[in-house]
Amino acid sequence: MKNTPTTTIPDPADDDNVASLVGATKTFGEGDAAVTAIDDVTIGFRRGEFTAVMGPSGSGKSTLMYCQSGLDKLSSGKAYIGDVDVSTLGDQELSVMRRSQLGFIFQSFHLVPALTARENITLPVDLDRVAQVDESFLNELTEVLAIQNRLGNRPSELSGGQRQRVAVARAMIPRPDVIFADEPTGALDSRTSGELLKYLRQAVDALGQTIVMVTHDAVAASYCDRVVYVQDGQLVGEARHPSVDDVLDKIRELS
Amino acid sequence: MLQRTIKLAWYKRNRYALTVVAIGLSVAFIVSTLLLTTSIADVGDPLNQSYAELDAAVSGPSVSAGDGPIAGISAPVPERVVDAINAAGFEAVGFSSPYAQVIDAGGNAGGQVQAAANIAEPWLGSSVLNGFAVVDGAPPSGLGEMALDQTTADGAGLSVGDTVTYVTDRGPQQADLVGIVSFGGANNDPYVSTVLLDASDPLFTVVAGHDYVLVAGDASAAEVTAAVSALGAVNGLTVESGPAWIAGEIEQLNSFLGFFETFLTVFAVIAVVVGMLIVTNTFTVSLAQRTQELALLRLVGTTRRQLMSQVVIEALLLGLAGTALGTGVGLIGVSAMGAFLDVLGLSIERSNAIAYSAIAIGAIVGIGVTVVAAVLPARKATGVAPIEALRTSEVEPPSAGRRRQVLVLITSLLGLAALVFGSAQGDILYAGIGIGVLFLALYLGGEYLIRATARVARPFLSLAGPTGGLASRNLERNAGRTAAAASALMIGVSLISFFTLMAATIGQFIAGDSADAITADYVVQGVGNPPGPVLNDELLIRLESVDGVATVAPTRLTTVTPVTEAEVSRPGPGDGVLGVAMADIDELQAVFDFEVVAGSLADVGGSSVVVDEATAESLSVGVGQPLAVTALAGSVDLQVVAVVASSLPGQPQPAIVGDVELADVVGYTEPATLAYVKATTSQAVLTNAVGIPTIDVLSTDDYVASLGSNLDTILALVYALLAVAVVIALVGIANTVSLAISERVGEIAAVRAAGASRRQIFWSLISEFGLLALVGVVSGVAFAWVAAASFFRALSGGQISYPETDMLSGLLIIVGGMLGGVLAAWLPSRSASRANLLDVLKAE
Repeated sequence: MKNTPTTTIPDPADDDNVASLVGATKTFGEGDAAVTAIDDVTIGFRRGEFTAVMGPSGSGKSTLMYCQSGLDKLSSGKAYIGDVDVSTLGDQELSVMRRSQLGFIFQSFHLVPALTARENITLPVDLDRVAQVDESFLNELTEVLAIQNRLGNRPSELSGGQRQRVAVARAMIPRPDVIFADEPTGALDSRTSGELLKYLRQAVDALGQTIVMVTHDAVAASYCDRVVYVQDGQLVGEARHPSVDDVLDKIRELS
Repeated sequence: MLQRTIKLAWYKRNRYALTVVAIGLSVAFIVSTLLLTTSIADVGDPLNQSYAELDAAVSGPSVSAGDGPIAGISAPVPERVVDAINAAGFEAVGFSSPYAQVIDAGGNAGGQVQAAANIAEPWLGSSVLNGFAVVDGAPPSGLGEMALDQTTADGAGLSVGDTVTYVTDRGPQQADLVGIVSFGGANNDPYVSTVLLDASDPLFTVVAGHDYVLVAGDASAAEVTAAVSALGAVNGLTVESGPAWIAGEIEQLNSFLGFFETFLTVFAVIAVVVGMLIVTNTFTVSLAQRTQELALLRLVGTTRRQLMSQVVIEALLLGLAGTALGTGVGLIGVSAMGAFLDVLGLSIERSNAIAYSAIAIGAIVGIGVTVVAAVLPARKATGVAPIEALRTSEVEPPSAGRRRQVLVLITSLLGLAALVFGSAQGDILYAGIGIGVLFLALYLGGEYLIRATARVARPFLSLAGPTGGLASRNLERNAGRTAAAASALMIGVSLISFFTLMAATIGQFIAGDSADAITADYVVQGVGNPPGPVLNDELLIRLESVDGVATVAPTRLTTVTPVTEAEVSRPGPGDGVLGVAMADIDELQAVFDFEVVAGSLADVGGSSVVVDEATAESLSVGVGQPLAVTALAGSVDLQVVAVVASSLPGQPQPAIVGDVELADVVGYTEPATLAYVKATTSQAVLTNAVGIPTIDVLSTDDYVASLGSNLDTILALVYALLAVAVVIALVGIANTVSLAISERVGEIAAVRAAGASRRQIFWSLISEFGLLALVGVVSGVAFAWVAAASFFRALSGGQISYPETDMLSGLLIIVGGMLGGVLAAWLPSRSASRANLLDVLKAE
C-alpha cells in the first residue's frame, strides 16, 4: 500500500487534469482568531478518476472541495477547473461554469420543492437558455438510476434514496467535467448508500465521469480509485484502490 | 421558561424585525384613526354652558331640511314676535346671523374660513342670552368697533388694537378690534366664526324677520315656554323649551360630524382588517420553519403544553413590541392627521384628550391577533410527530381543503345574487351585502386566484427563461401562505379604486351634462359658506358697466320641498329637497343652453316654472300641470310650463328654474349669491371691478370644477388614509417576501448550485412576488368596479348604469400598485440573491 502524498505539481494545461489546487490556502477569521482550514495544498484531479477526500471533522476536507469548485474563494494560491483560474471569474461566469462544467451532490439533496423530479434534473440545462436537454441521455440516466417512473413527482413525494438519485441525475445531465459530492451518503441508510455508490462507480467506469467525493465513510471511500487523506488542512496521505480495512487503518493512524 | 423564550425570540430578532414593524404600523393606523375619531370635540359643552339661562326658543316653520352641505331653510320670525314676548315680561332677542367675513392682513378671507358659517352677531352686553364673554380688551360699544372670537382672531392673525376689514352683504367694512371673546368656555361658537358688533349696527336692521328668537325669563324653562306659546303673536311658529332647542342645535351639528365620525370609523375598521391580515400572514408564511423548530423542541422532551406556552409568550412579546411601537407612532400620527385635515380645510374641532379605548383596541389587535395568528399554525405544527417533521426537509405548504372550495363557491354565488338583486331593485342594503359577501369570497378564494394566475402566467414567464417558470411554480406552490398578503393589498387597492370611481361618478352627476350647456364666460360668486356674501346691486351695476360685458345674470338660489306622495329620487346630497333658481329668464337663456323637451320658455314668469326632465319624471308632472311645494311663503302651487333636458348646475342642482318674480311667490327675500357673466373681458379686469376679496370671478370651467370641490377635499382625506393602508399592506408584502425567502434559502441555494446566476435568482423572485402583487392589485381594481357599478345602480335607482370610468386612473392604480409590490419585494429578493451560496449550503 502506497501512502506517499502527491508532491508532483499538477499542470492545469494538461488536458487530463480536470481540476487542481496549487499552493491553496484558506484562512477564516483574522488575527488571533484566525483558523487555517487548508494550508498550502497542491493537488490535481484527473479525468475519469473517482477520488475520495477523507479526514476527521474539521480537517479541512470540505473547505478543500468548496474552494476547488469555486463555491468558496482561496486566501492564497490558485484553484483551477481545467486551465481556468476560478478566482478570475465573476458570478455570471461561475454560474455558467456550475451549470455546464460542474455537478454537485449534497448530503441534504437540495432539490427544488416546487419542481418535479424531471424539472429538477434538467434544471442546469434549462438555466442555460441555449443548451438543449439530451433526451436519450436523460432516459439512460433515469433508467440506470431507477427513477424513470418517478419523473413527474415532486421531491416531497419521493423517498430519501430517490431524492438523492434525482440529485445525481441533476449533477450528471450537463455531462460535467467533474462532479463534487459532499457526503452524498450522509443522509442515507447503508443499503441505499451502497446503491448510490454503485451508481457513482458505474458513472466513472461507463462514462468516464470524474468525481471528487468528500466523505468520512470508509465503505464509501472503498469504491474510489484514489483516496486522499487530509488532516489539519494538509494532505497527509494518499492511497489507490484501498480496501475498507486499509482506509480504517489509515484513519486510526491519523487520529 | 420565560427567559429561554426571550432568548429564542431575540435570536430570531432579524427575522422578526419586519414583523414587529408590520404589527406596529397596523396598530399605529388603528390607534391614530380611532384617536382622531374620538377626539372630535363634543360641541355640546360650550352650547350648554353659554345658553344655561335659555328658557325658550321660537322659530319659523321648516321649509326644507338641511342635509350635508346644504343649509336647511325655515320661515323667518317677524320682529313683532320679539316685541310681543318682551312686552309679556320676558327677555327676547332675535337672531338673524347676517354674513360677515373677516379679511386678514394678506387681503384674503381669514379666520375660520372653513367654519360652517361666517356671521355677525350683536353684542348683547349683560343679557343672560349673551353667549359670549370678553377675554381680552373690551366689548364693542358703538359703530366702528368690533370683537372677534378667539379662534377667528388667531386664524386671521389679528389682535386688539388692529383695524379690521370685514365683508358683509353691504360690501367691505372697517372697524377697530377692541376685544376678543370666548363662547361658553370654548374659543368659539362651534363651527361658527363670529364678528360681534354693536347692536345698533345697520347690519342688524330687520328685513324679513329673524332666523330664531331666544327667550329668557325668571320662571322655569317649562313655565316660560308655556307662557310664550300662549301668546297670540307666536301663532304658526314653533316654540321649544330652551334645553330642547339646544339639544336640536347639538344634534344638527353632530349630524354633520356624525358623517365624519362614521367615515373615520370605517377607516378604523379597514385598518383593523388590514392589520389582522398582515399579522396573520406573518405567521402562516413561515410555517415550515416553525414546524421544524417546534418539532426539534418536542424531540428534546418539551411537552405540547410547554411548547404552546412558549409560542404564546413569543407572540405576546412580538405583539407587545409592535403595539408599543405602534401606539407611539399612532400618537404622533394623530397630530399629523389633524394637521393634514387643517391643510385640507376640514377643520374639525378636536380635543386633546386621549381616548384610552383607542389605545386599548390597538393593543387588542396588536397583541391579541398576533397571539391567535401564532397559535393557530403552531397547533397544526405540534400535531405532527416530531421525528416526522424533522425527517422531511420540505414541509409542504398548506392547501385549502375541499370544504374551502365549496365555501368559496357558495359565497361567490350568494354575493353575486345579492349584488344583482340589489342593483336591479335599487336596494342599497342588498347591494351592500352583496359587496361584502363577494369580498369575503374573494378573500377566501385568494389562494385559487393566485394559483390560476400562476398557471396562466407560466407560458409567458417561461419565455423569459427557466427562472420565470420557476417563479410561477413557486407562486402556485406557496399560494396558501401568501394569499393573505395579496388580500391585504387587494383591500387597499380596491378602496382607492372605489373612491376614485365614486368621486368621478358623483362629480359627473353634480356637474351633470349641464356643465357643457353653460354659455357664460364667467361665474361670479362668494367664497364663504352659506349664507355666503350676496351680490348687491351696487356690485352688479359695477360689473355691467365694465367694457366688454354683454350679460350679467344674477341668480338667486333657494330650496323647497315638494308636497307629493312620490319619493323624489335624486342621488347625492339634498335628497328630497329641490333646488330652485330664480333669474331673468331672458338673461338666463343668454348664458345657458336649455334644451327644451316640452313646453316653452316664453311662458316662464310668476309661478310658471321650468322643471328638469329627471325631476318631472320622478314627481310625475308635465307641462300644464301644477307642482305643489312648501316654500318660505308656505304652501305654493307652481305651474310647470316647460320641461328641459338638463337644468343649471349647482348644489343642489336647481330642479326648478323660474323668472325673477318667482322669488315673491316662494317668499325669498335675499339678493342673488351668484351671477353668470358673458363677457369678452379678462378675468383680472372683472376681479378688479368686483373689488371684494370674498367674491370670486371664476371661469366657467373652474366654476364647474368647484361644484365638486367639497368632494375633492374629502377625497384627499380618503386618499391619504388609504395611502397609509396601502403602505402598511406593502410592508406586509415585504415581510411576507422576506419570510418566504428566508424559508426557502435551501432551494435557492440548490438552484444556485445547479448554475443559476444571482441575476436569474433575483428576477425569479421578483417575478414571483410581482405576480402576487398583480393578483392583489388587479382583483382589487376589478372588485371595486363591480362594487361601484352595483352600488351606484342601486343608489340612483338605475339612473347611473355604470360608474364614470377613467381608464387612465385605473391603469395608474394598477401600475402604481404593481410598482409598490415589486419595490416591496426588491430588497429581500436582492439580499437573497446575493447571499453567500456556501453559507446557505453549509447551514442546511
